Amino acid sequence: MLERKLVIVSGKGGVGKSAIAVALALRAQRAGKRVLVSAMSDGVGTAIHLGADHLSYKPTTFYGDIHAMEVDRAYALEEYLKVQLRVPQAAPTKTFSKAMQVLVDTAPGIREVISMGKPIFDTWQGHYDLVVVDAPPIGQLMSYLRAPAVVANVVPTGAIKDQSGRMAAMLRDPEQTALVLVTTPEELPALETKQALDELESERLINLGVLIANRVLPPLDITPHQIEALPDRPATAAAAHHTSLLALQDASLDSLPIDVRLPYLFGVHTPAEVSAQLADEWEDAL
Amino acid sequence: MKSSDILIVTGAGGVGKTTLSAAIAVATAEQGARTLVITVDPARRLADALGITMLDRATNRPSRVPDAPLLDAVMLDVTASWEAITARHAKPEVADRLLESPYFRAVADRFPAAQSYAAGEQVAEFAMSGDWDVVVVDTPPAAGGIDFFMAPRKMRELVGGRLLRWLTGARVPGRNLIYRTTARPMLRLADILLGSALLEELADFLIDVRSLYDGLSSRALAIDRLMSQATVLVVTTDAPGPMREAGRFFSALPEIDVSPAALIFNRALPDSWITARGPMGNTALDEALRANMELWSSEARRNRDARVAMAARLEVPMAAVPWLRRPLSDVAGLANLVSSAADLSDIVHR
Repeated sequence: MLERKLVIVSGKGGVGKSAIAVALALRAQRAGKRVLVSAMSDGVGTAIHLGADHLSYKPTTFYGDIHAMEVDRAYALEEYLKVQLRVPQAAPTKTFSKAMQVLVDTAPGIREVISMGKPIFDTWQGHYDLVVVDAPPIGQLMSYLRAPAVVANVVPTGAIKDQSGRMAAMLRDPEQTALVLVTTPEELPALETKQALDELESERLINLGVLIANRVLPPLDITPHQIEALPDRPATAAAAHHTSLLALQDASLDSLPIDVRLPYLFGVHTPAEVSAQLADEWEDAL
Repeated sequence: MKSSDILIVTGAGGVGKTTLSAAIAVATAEQGARTLVITVDPARRLADALGITMLDRATNRPSRVPDAPLLDAVMLDVTASWEAITARHAKPEVADRLLESPYFRAVADRFPAAQSYAAGEQVAEFAMSGDWDVVVVDTPPAAGGIDFFMAPRKMRELVGGRLLRWLTGARVPGRNLIYRTTARPMLRLADILLGSALLEELADFLIDVRSLYDGLSSRALAIDRLMSQATVLVVTTDAPGPMREAGRFFSALPEIDVSPAALIFNRALPDSWITARGPMGNTALDEALRANMELWSSEARRNRDARVAMAARLEVPMAAVPWLRRPLSDVAGLANLVSSAADLSDIVHR
């Protein structure tokens, strides 16, 4: 995973994507790499796992060699026009850039190509050994991954068409790019993961690097039968709670080809602690 | 005709909004109120429990919930809502053109404000029909929280505002006018980016969108008024993301004319677990119980700390709903959820 240039972390909302994206960055940093974490949805969600309260478009440095930024759509568009299309002075007024944004949002695929383009361009520029994308939920990510093909269809002549072809090739290349898909051992996330795996398999827009089950509960060597015989106490209720969650966990992970299981972190408070601990656990799991 | 009481359930994705909305709707129906629950994307078993079949999707037509005489359920389809909105507000030939436009679906699907607006307009239609006493709304995840309430305003600004005027000319002009004004630097830029053929199509599309303004604008005001009378329940769990989202909602309240009734803290663990210890014996069973209790007692402490922190920050009543061991799959279970959470049951029955 760490040998790739671009790793995209996604999964259903609420499964711990940001925690795992930062854990991956920590692992890369420990291996001596220069890493960029690129937050494509909610920058605050990524920031708290680095112990900060927000991120900006300009990367902030953490723990020595982890750099983290938020892909703001308006800035991404401005930079795209300036750097990629070599347009001299982009977005002179507020109305101007807002209007541009409306056009970009209305044409299918363009907005996605420009946002997804930012981490990809960062990869091409070679300032970092690894770019980790804290991506939108998997459903949305699929439309980002499909966007280059959509753009090729709707834009007959525009400059953005050529670039989307290069982007799609980069995303498809297993030597350079991998997807980390995260799920939790619960019914809905597992179901959505299964669907995503089918779509990934049939569309082949990106290669799955690792499928992670996050917040996996430890086994408990107590049977429901034993629990029934126990007195009504918190320890009994906690055991009953745990065993029913375990049953749901087994049922939901059953049909998924999980590569790495990361444990449920009981009682861990801060998001930064969660990511640091997940990085350790991930290394131990390999 | 009296419009329904509206109960809006909002919060981050994955916190259990859909289940809670269904449970609240079951509880109000059991109290004798004709109730409609508007849901967005229910899990299979919950959809089955509510009697929502694949056939009902994409029609926006409510159907009766089995085993619940006064309860109807509907699954919201945003694209179908936009088709209805367009048919309502545009001249027939413009509506046809819009609905056939490849950009129409893209815009309806991707602008969060467009999604929320469609949901809002659909809610308003149900609420004003007089068919129900209570309408319970599960808000769309992509447009949760504050966006749902800002959408009517944003839509009005977007469609009628300076921006589209600036893009499409002072009055709705002859078609293709936008492209003849390429002297504007913005359009030159857009031309480089998108190519002239696409730009021209987009301009035509936006000119058609502008013609929705009058109808959409007065409707948006009505929706705004309706929403400001709604009861809002904000749902969170102890996870940092959902708590942040709930906090954001409350801090944005001054911007919208809505007052939340309560914060629902879902998946609460019993406080009694915090100090509880397992049995002291030396059997394998005792040891397993002890170790397991230790894990859950640290988790219960974290859970309580999160609840205390939220309560300290926000001055609204808070209802803790226990962490269920199994996903709910029938009407009886849903009814049970509300009656087992005393604070929630107070809020619902108020």
